[in-house]
Order: sequence, then C-alpha cells, then structure tokens
Amino acid sequence: MNELGRILIVEDDPNDVELTLTALAEYNLANEVVVTRDGEEALDYLYCRGQFKPRASDNPAVLLLDLKLPKVDGLEVLRQIKSDEKLRMIPVVVLTSSREERDMVASYRLGVNAYVVKPVDFHQFVNAIKELGVFWAVINEPPPGSIRKR
Amino acid sequence: MWKPELASPGVTSAVLRYGLAVVSVALATALALLTDVYEIHSPDTPLFLVAVAVTVWYAGPGPAALAVVLSSASYDYFFTEPRYAFNFGPSDRLNVLVFVLFAFVIGWFSSRRRRIDRELRQARDDLATEVVERARQASLLNLTHDSIFVRDMGDVITYWNRGSHELYGWTPTQAIGERAHELLQTVFPVPLDEVHEELLRTGRWEGELRKTRADGTPVVVSSRWALVRDEQERPVAILTTNNDITDRKRREREIQGLNQELAKHSTELEAINQELEAFAYSVSHDLRAPLRHMAGYAELLHKSASSLLDEQGRRYVTMIRESAKRMGNLIDDLLAFSRVGRAEMKKAMVSLDQALKDALNEIRPETDGRNIAWTIGALPEVYGDRSLLRLVMVNLISNAVKFTQTRPRGEIEIGCTEAQDEIVVFIRDNGVGFEMKYANKLFGVFQRLHRAEEFEGTGIGLATVQRVIHRHGGRAWAEGAVDRGATFYFSLPKSSAVKS
Repeated sequence: MNELGRILIVEDDPNDVELTLTALAEYNLANEVVVTRDGEEALDYLYCRGQFKPRASDNPAVLLLDLKLPKVDGLEVLRQIKSDEKLRMIPVVVLTSSREERDMVASYRLGVNAYVVKPVDFHQFVNAIKELGVFWAVINEPPPGSIRKR
Repeated sequence: MWKPELASPGVTSAVLRYGLAVVSVALATALALLTDVYEIHSPDTPLFLVAVAVTVWYAGPGPAALAVVLSSASYDYFFTEPRYAFNFGPSDRLNVLVFVLFAFVIGWFSSRRRRIDRELRQARDDLATEVVERARQASLLNLTHDSIFVRDMGDVITYWNRGSHELYGWTPTQAIGERAHELLQTVFPVPLDEVHEELLRTGRWEGELRKTRADGTPVVVSSRWALVRDEQERPVAILTTNNDITDRKRREREIQGLNQELAKHSTELEAINQELEAFAYSVSHDLRAPLRHMAGYAELLHKSASSLLDEQGRRYVTMIRESAKRMGNLIDDLLAFSRVGRAEMKKAMVSLDQALKDALNEIRPETDGRNIAWTIGALPEVYGDRSLLRLVMVNLISNAVKFTQTRPRGEIEIGCTEAQDEIVVFIRDNGVGFEMKYANKLFGVFQRLHRAEEFEGTGIGLATVQRVIHRHGGRAWAEGAVDRGATFYFSLPKSSAVKS
C-alpha cells in the first residue's frame, strides 16, 4: 500500500464511528480518516469553513455518508456535493442502516457512487468496511485534487 | 235549398200523422165556425194556418199537403162566398197559395230545427263517447302509482289521479278546484317566473320540488310538467307528473354521508399508513444500529478478552452475538413482511411455472446435498405481481424443504387443481407435519409450531404467503398431520387465472 486516500466519515453515532474505525484499523486503513459528526460539519469540512478553515483545500478520496444525521441529513449533503462543480467528483458511498427502497432510490437519483447497508453481523460489517476502504482508498484511482498519503 | 225533412218527424206512425192533419184542420174549421157563430171578427185564415203549421211541424210534408188541401177545401166550403159550397175561385187560389207558402216556411223551420236537433244529438253522443273514453283514460291514469294531475293556467287543479291521492293524501274531490301550489305548499328551486318562462318556451319543465302532504309531512318529488295547448296554440292547461323521490333523496343523503365518512376513514388510513411507514423506517434504521453495536462489541470482546474469560464467560459472549444476529434477522423479516403489505402491486400475466423455477433456483443452497424427490405438475398463468408470487413460491417450497430435512428422502409434490371459479396450487411434503388444531396459527406473524433448535426460522414466511395471496384475492390454508407431512394450498380467483 504505497498510496492511501483520505476517507471522510460522516456518522453521528459514536459506536458506529468506533466500530468503523476499528474495522478500518484492522486493515491498516485508519491513518487517513476524518470523522465529522453531522451533515453541517461534513459540509464545513468540504468547503473548508468554520473549524476546518485552515485545512488544505484538497478533497477526500472517498466519503462514507450516513443518511440519518442531525442538522443536515445525508441526502441533503449528497445533493449539495453532487450539485457543486468542485465537489461532485468526490466518490460518495452511502453507508446506512436503512434498507428502505426509497432511500436507495433517492440516493442513486442524486448520483451516489455506492449504497451499502450496514450488516448487523459484525464479521460482515468489518468485511464491508474493509472492502470499502480498500477499494475506495487504495484500489480506486481518485479524481484529481484528492488528498493522498504517500 | 231547403229539402223537406223526411226522416224522423215528431210523430212516427203514418195513420197518426195523417190523422193529425185531419184533426187539426177539423179543429181549425170548428173554431172558425164558432167564431162565426159568435160573430167575433173572423180569424179564419190564421186558424187554418195554425192547423197547417202544426201538421207540418209534427207530421211532416205528406200530412202537410193533406192539411193544405183540407184547409183550402174547408175554407172554400165554409168561409168564402158562396158559403157551404165548393166554388174554387181566384180568392181560393190565393188562399191555397198562402197555405202552401206557409207550409213551406214552417217546413223549412221544422227541418232546420230537426237538423239542429240531430246535430245536438250527435254532439251529445260524441260528448258521451268522449266522456267514456276520458273516463277510461282517467281510470288508466289511476292505475299508475305516479301522481298525475292537471292544472289550468290559473293553477287550479282540474284532474287529480289516484297516485296523487296516495302521494299527497287529498281525494280528487278535495283537490279539484284548489290552487295546486297553495294546496301543496310547493317550494320551487328557482323563481316560479323562470319555471313558467321555460314551460311556455319549450312546452315542458322538469325539476325537483318540495311539497307538503295533507298530513303536513314534507315530500320531495321529481316533477315533470307538460303544457297542453288548444287548436289555436294557446296554452290551456299543465299536465303534471310527480314521482316521490323522498326516499331516493334520503338515500342519496345517506350515501353522501357514508362517502364523506369513507373519505374521512380513507384519510385516516392514509395517515396511519404513513405513520406505519415512518415506524417501519425507524425500525429499519434505529433498531438495527444498537443491535449492530451489540454484535460488534460482543465480537470485539470475544476477540480481545477471550483469553481472560472462562468457559462460561465465552459462552455468554457467544449467546449475545447469536441473539443479536437473530434479532437482526427478525427485524429484517418483519420489514420484508411489512413491505409485502405496503408495496404497490405491479400486475401482469405471470407464469406460475416460471415463478416456480425461479423459486427453485433461489433455494438451491438449501436443497443442495439433500435427497429430495420432486413431483412437479403444470401450473397455469395468472394475473398478478410477479415478484410477490415468486416470494410465495419461495416461502412455501423452502418450508417444504426445511420440514423434510429429517427424512432420509424428502418427497415434495407441487401441482394445481382447478375449481369452478378459482385455481388451487398445492405444495405437499412428507415432512414432520403439524397438528391440525394449530392449522389456523400457521399463518400468523411470528407463529411457530416448532422449537427454534428443531427448525430455524422467524415465523414470518407463511404470514407473508397469506398476505400476498389475500392481496391477490385468494386464500391460503394447510392440511397436515404430525409426522405424516403437510400440504399447503393457495387459491387465486379464476378471473385472475388464464388457461394453463
């Protein structure tokens, strides 16, 4: 693993954050992970606003997005990203508990790159996170302007 | 030109008629002689004229001629010089001429009178016929249950049938002569002027009127008016037909009320459905998250602290993980079940044969390595939702496969029978079966007849089957006996089935 893209996680549940980070850590993918806890914070990060003002303006290699979020919900975040000229190239993976068809349809309509339902079973969960991390942060060639750790 | 009236003079018998001529002339002669005797100024000629007139009037032309001859003779004999002798002179000729002329004049009058008489009789007979006909029609009109009455242009009732009597309570005698709108307290939906305007313009009017019966109860009628005109096209009367629609109006109001209630219920249902959807969504999202955490942390605990735990502790951790997993399955199944009920049905012609093949493919992981003898009959095409019907097949076959797993050789038969108005598909197995007294429990949500360690499952499959079949307008039921297999049936209405 010579290159590792930065993963931006948008997740309000601390347990999910911990389990996700654990899963990523298990496969040494956790170094370049940023966690934001609601939709507003995620947008602040992407637009380098508020607390993220000083950061370098590179985009993350992938964004793992929960749908049910405080303040600004996941679908709204997705809509804003996909309608912004600078952000729309960021691959967005919806990672949610919801198996509801309408969420899935809405996400794909907005141009999501992948839709993953969090499995209840931990092994499956870890596998899903690992594969996501490996694919999007390592295998996938991210669009220009993404942060890569060399 | 006057023609003597030969027919039907006042007196019919010829003898009497000619007798009348003789008698009247004799009487005239006698009276004339009497006046002569008493030397009163002689009205001789007028007396004979009267005799002729009477004869003409009552006896006709024949006797009249006789009367003229007799009068002339008598006058000549008794009253002209020389008296008491026939001496037909010029003055007599004048007399005869006077008599004849007079006879003709009276005859003409008589004939006129008779003709008028006859015309009057004719008119009377016509009238009688007309009355009979009208009465017959009126009695026909009386047969109808509808209220029919006639008003003149001044709104005065001139005819009132039995239907009107029955509807409003007034007898014809009471109603005829009354003003209709006053009697019935008619309430018009539009100004009366407009009604009359339309009636005069088009000759008809119809509408709903509220009226009041003799006993004071209100009645709503559907009223049709037709204008009756005379030969000069002048409006003379209004024929009114009324139907009692009080009941219909009441029912309409009831139906309206029911519809409103239905709409309300439907709105409520929609709200409840939305709530249910929100609930299902919440279950889907929020209940799964903590479950995933439980499973996750139990797993992490198992990994990191396994060596620190004793056998008991490790077993507890395993139990937590398994329970969480089971709970996850339950939630997934429940959500799937709820989706089956909520999902919009996309109906099309569905080959049950194909649905069966798809189902068999889908459960291949369960059948692999098993010794199962399949007997599969031809299944028809039905009109329904492809994916839901496939789900039914998957659930039923997977059940059969599951409950025959204790048999060294499973036997599963799938077929179809056709009843009069439905098709019945059955899936028969030689599995562990069930007690018939629990047959009704089979299709309930989370109802299981076996312990979890015997056969896995959440108890949602048959509930799903039943829900899908009900949504297609069919029924689902089962027969079985302990250790002697089970047969599951579902029916679909034939209107939704087409020949196989």
